[in-house]
Amino acid sequence: MTIMQIEAISKKFYDGLEEGRIYARRCLECGVIEFPPHYACNTCGYHATEWVELSGKGEITSFVLHGIMNARPYLDDVSRKYAFGAVKLDEGVEFNTVIFGISKKNEQELKERIRAGKRVGVRPCITQRDGFKTLYFELDE
Amino acid sequence: MGKLGQYARSVSIIGVGCTRFNNNLAEPERRYLGEGEMFGYAALAAMEDAGIEPRDVDYFYHGAANPFQHSDCINPALGVAEWFGMRGKGAIHHSEACCTPYVALELAVQAVASGAHDVVLTGGIELSNGVGLPGKPACFRREFSFEEMLPGIDRIYDRSYTRAFDGGIGVIFDDWINEYAESHGMSDDEVDRTLNALAYHCRRAAKLNPRGFYDVDFDDLAAQNDMKDGMEYLSSALNPKVTHHLRSTGFETKADGAAALIVCPTDMAKQFKHAPIEVLGTGACTLDVMNPHNERRATHEAARQVYELTGVSPSDLDIFYANDFLIPSHMCAAEEVGYLPKGEGWKLVIEGQTAFDGDYPINTNGGRCHFGHAHGASGLADMFECVHQMRGTAGKTQVKKQPKTAMIRGFGGSQNVRCTILRTVE
Repeated sequence: MTIMQIEAISKKFYDGLEEGRIYARRCLECGVIEFPPHYACNTCGYHATEWVELSGKGEITSFVLHGIMNARPYLDDVSRKYAFGAVKLDEGVEFNTVIFGISKKNEQELKERIRAGKRVGVRPCITQRDGFKTLYFELDE
Repeated sequence: MGKLGQYARSVSIIGVGCTRFNNNLAEPERRYLGEGEMFGYAALAAMEDAGIEPRDVDYFYHGAANPFQHSDCINPALGVAEWFGMRGKGAIHHSEACCTPYVALELAVQAVASGAHDVVLTGGIELSNGVGLPGKPACFRREFSFEEMLPGIDRIYDRSYTRAFDGGIGVIFDDWINEYAESHGMSDDEVDRTLNALAYHCRRAAKLNPRGFYDVDFDDLAAQNDMKDGMEYLSSALNPKVTHHLRSTGFETKADGAAALIVCPTDMAKQFKHAPIEVLGTGACTLDVMNPHNERRATHEAARQVYELTGVSPSDLDIFYANDFLIPSHMCAAEEVGYLPKGEGWKLVIEGQTAFDGDYPINTNGGRCHFGHAHGASGLADMFECVHQMRGTAGKTQVKKQPKTAMIRGFGGSQNVRCTILRTVE
């Protein structure tokens, strides 16, 4: 193993969001995408990865609506209904985040579609937070 | 994933100690208790229980989930050592949020199993209802409300990504019960009845426990409010929903508390007062909350490791403890490790079968939501309770069949999970 270059990985990720790009890493041994980006591969345990760009297209695999205890005050400012849930990108990675466009109104319909194995598609919704942009998602339709 | 090896020598618990879990600032005779008094009491109680003196203890571990905030302190092990006669001996402070007490046991067992030390004390403390005042001695504290604590919970989560994605606090409260309900086709009403039944029976246990936070149960509160029974109270507006599934009684009761235990080689343990409780092994998994369904996945992995190491099977377990600062963990973790039959847990909960007087006893002290949650100490309070259950000395909440084999599932800190199996040495 060679001494790898020390690189500000998460800064590059957030800089990418400023430009509308979603950066990830790909394992140099097993080829699986590492997201959000880190130095090493958490799928096979190999030490080296390289930069790739993701499409941001994906689907919801589960979600839950929030109550007063887990509401995020800064999301109220966005004035859009949201849920917390797991998004699986077409490149295979799955993670928890915020999904806009889900409310009590369409909750049951979306859950039934997920239960039936039908795709509930999402696209990236890069959102301004206090001093940085972050990656949330919104329903495709 | 992880694989465990056998300990170099068998290790057993020989003594346990625990304070009451309460709000010190609300009680005139306790409001000036500092960390030294609380940790010191738990440590000396554990020594008394074992029948040893401070001079017999070689080394100690000190755990606290958040000493910087609650105790205005960076190295709290130093501040407590002399309260229980261990000036100058070796000590380590560690901090893993709500998983601290479970790591406390793991560390102490490893220290003895390795041969480095023979008699080791390990303890945890959190004075969660107050904060130390900078510039003032430890006996002076001010109140620290749940509302003041809540925004700080984000500090548990990964800073690089999880906080920014909101992959933590929003998801974790309801994630497992939401997934459980989806898997088993439960309606929202069935989920509500299940979680209320958990609260009902946990509070019953906590009221009967002399160290528990509450001295009233939900039947008492129903009577005070002209309601039929505790279940009516729990489904009323007096117990409001605060997340999609959880009502306010499904969250931790913040408490001040400390607990400790003492371990030594099993061969040596037989000379002390009580039948030793052997620590067969601890499975471990750390999985950040940005990974979907992390509590279930980490619990599954930690349990798998310890079952594989010990040869114990789920049907061997007589009692189960889960860190349940979110009350669904009580049932979901028990099902995940195989203590409850798959998909049947919620029905057994509604029947009261997971209560201390049921056929599948879980969290017989009332758990985090009703016994109380002193974050760095709670798991050790469960071990205190578990050891007494295994000795048959648990008092009014003693389970029907004296347990021989127990599992304790630790969880906390976004999230660290431990599954430890204990067994009475015959």
